[in-house]
Amino acid sequence: MLGKLMKYELRATSRTMLPILGVMLLVSGLANLAVRWMNTDRLPAALSVILGLSMVAFILGLISLGAITVFVMVARFRNNLLRSEGYITHTLPVSVHAQIWSKVLTAALWYAAAIVTIVLSVVLLVLDVDFIRGLTDALGDILRLFTDFNNVEVLVELLVILFLESVAMSLMIFAALSVGHSFSSRKMLASVGVFILFAVLTQVVSGVRVSMVPDAGLAAGTETAARGFMESWRITCGHLALGAIVSGGIYYLITAWFLKNRLNLE
Amino acid sequence: MPILTCAGLSKSFGGTKALDGVDLTLEPGRIVGLLGPNGSGKTTLLKLANGLLRPSAGKILIDGKEPGVETKKIVSYLPDRACVPDYMTGAQLMAFYGDFYSDFDASAAKAMMERFEIDGRAKIKHMSKGTREKLQLIAVMSRRARLYLLDEPIGGVDPAARDVILGTIIANYDPSATVLISTHLIADVERVLDDILFLKSGKIVLAAPAEELREKHGKSVDEIFREVFRC
Repeated sequence: MLGKLMKYELRATSRTMLPILGVMLLVSGLANLAVRWMNTDRLPAALSVILGLSMVAFILGLISLGAITVFVMVARFRNNLLRSEGYITHTLPVSVHAQIWSKVLTAALWYAAAIVTIVLSVVLLVLDVDFIRGLTDALGDILRLFTDFNNVEVLVELLVILFLESVAMSLMIFAALSVGHSFSSRKMLASVGVFILFAVLTQVVSGVRVSMVPDAGLAAGTETAARGFMESWRITCGHLALGAIVSGGIYYLITAWFLKNRLNLE
Repeated sequence: MPILTCAGLSKSFGGTKALDGVDLTLEPGRIVGLLGPNGSGKTTLLKLANGLLRPSAGKILIDGKEPGVETKKIVSYLPDRACVPDYMTGAQLMAFYGDFYSDFDASAAKAMMERFEIDGRAKIKHMSKGTREKLQLIAVMSRRARLYLLDEPIGGVDPAARDVILGTIIANYDPSATVLISTHLIADVERVLDDILFLKSGKIVLAAPAEELREKHGKSVDEIFREVFRC
C-alpha cells in the first residue's frame, strides 16, 4: 500500500514542484546569458532589464528553493491528513505509519530533486562563462594553498546534511501540525506555538550536545591546521547527521501518536 | 455476528458529552436510519466507527474488531461534507478508489457516472457542489462493502435529487450488507428504512423496526420524530 500512497503523493506534489523546479532551471539559463552579456553594450535596453531581473530571480530562487519545497510538503501534509481531504485519507485501509512514511519519502525525493536542481542551476549559470570559471579556479587554488580542503567531500557531506536536516525539519513541522490540529479551535495558531516550542527544545538539546563534542583538531592529535579542519568538519557532520536522525525519529513518533489517538478533523 | 456493536460507548469533547453510554447492535442485511437533530451525536458515532475519533469510554466494534486497517476494508464511508481531492478528475477519483479498495466495482462506477451524466474527464474543482456530492456517493456506493456508513447523504441536495440519490443507494448496495444512514430529513428516507434509531443528546432513545413503530403509534416515523424531538 505504501507504493500506492506514494504514487498519489508524487502525483499531487508534482503538480506544484515540477513547474517550480523547471522555472528555476529556466531562470538559471537566463542568468547564464546575463553573466555572459553583462559587459556588452549592444543589447537592447528591454533585454538588459530582463537578463538583470533573471540574475536577481536566480539568486532569490537559489536561496528560497529549499524553503519553498518544505512549504509545499507541509501544505500537502496539512491538506491531505488534517483538513477535509483527511476524511478520505484516514479511512483508506492503510496504517498511520504508511501514511506518514509516504509523506516523508515523497518529501525526501523532492528535497533530493531540489538539491539536484540547485547543483544543476549553478552548473547552468557558470556553463562556459570564462569570468566565473576563472574566479572559482582561483578560489579553489587559494583554499588548497592553506588547507587539505577536499571540496568534493565537503560538498557531498554538505548536501547529505542538508537533505537529512530537511527531512528532520519536515517531521518537526508535521509533528507540530499534528499536535496543533488536535486542538478544538485556533488549530494553526496552536500549531505555530507548538512548532516554536519544538524548535526551541531542539536548539537547546542541539546546543548541549555540540558543547559536549571535544575539540576535533586536538582530540585527533593532528599536526596541521589543515588536517584539523577536515577532522572537525567530519565530526561536526557526523553529529549533525545523528542529531537529524534522532530528532526526526522523535518527531515521527509524536506525529504518529497524535494522528492515531488525537485526530480532530475540521 | 453483528456487523457493528457499541457497548457503553461515550465520547466527550472537553466538558461536552457528544455520545453518552451508547449500546447498539446492527445485524447484517438491514437499512438503518440513524435519526436525530443537529448536535445529537450522529456524526460522532460514524466518525468513531471509522476510526477518525477514539472513544472516551466504552467500545465500538466492526465485525468484532476495533476500527483499524482491517475494518476499513469492509466499511464504505460517506462523510457529511465534500472532501474529494479537487485536483483529480472524476475518472481519476474512481481509479484512486479502485487502487485502494479491492471490493471496488469500476463498471458499476462507470454506469452510475453515465446515469448522473458526469464527465469523467472533468476536473472535480470545476464541478458544482451537487455534482461533487454525487461523485463522492458514486465512489462510496461502487464498493461491495459489508457496512455502508452514510452521513447526511441527501443533506445538501435539492428534493428532486434526493430521490435519485436514495434510488442509487438502494440499487447498488449488496442486500447482505448493512446500510446506516444518518439524517434529519426523515420524510425523504423513511420509505427505504428497515430499522430506526433515534439519537438524542448522545443517547439512543428509541430503537425499533420502522414497520413496528408505524403500527404501534399509528403514525409515520417522521411524525414520531417530531414528537420525540419537539422543543
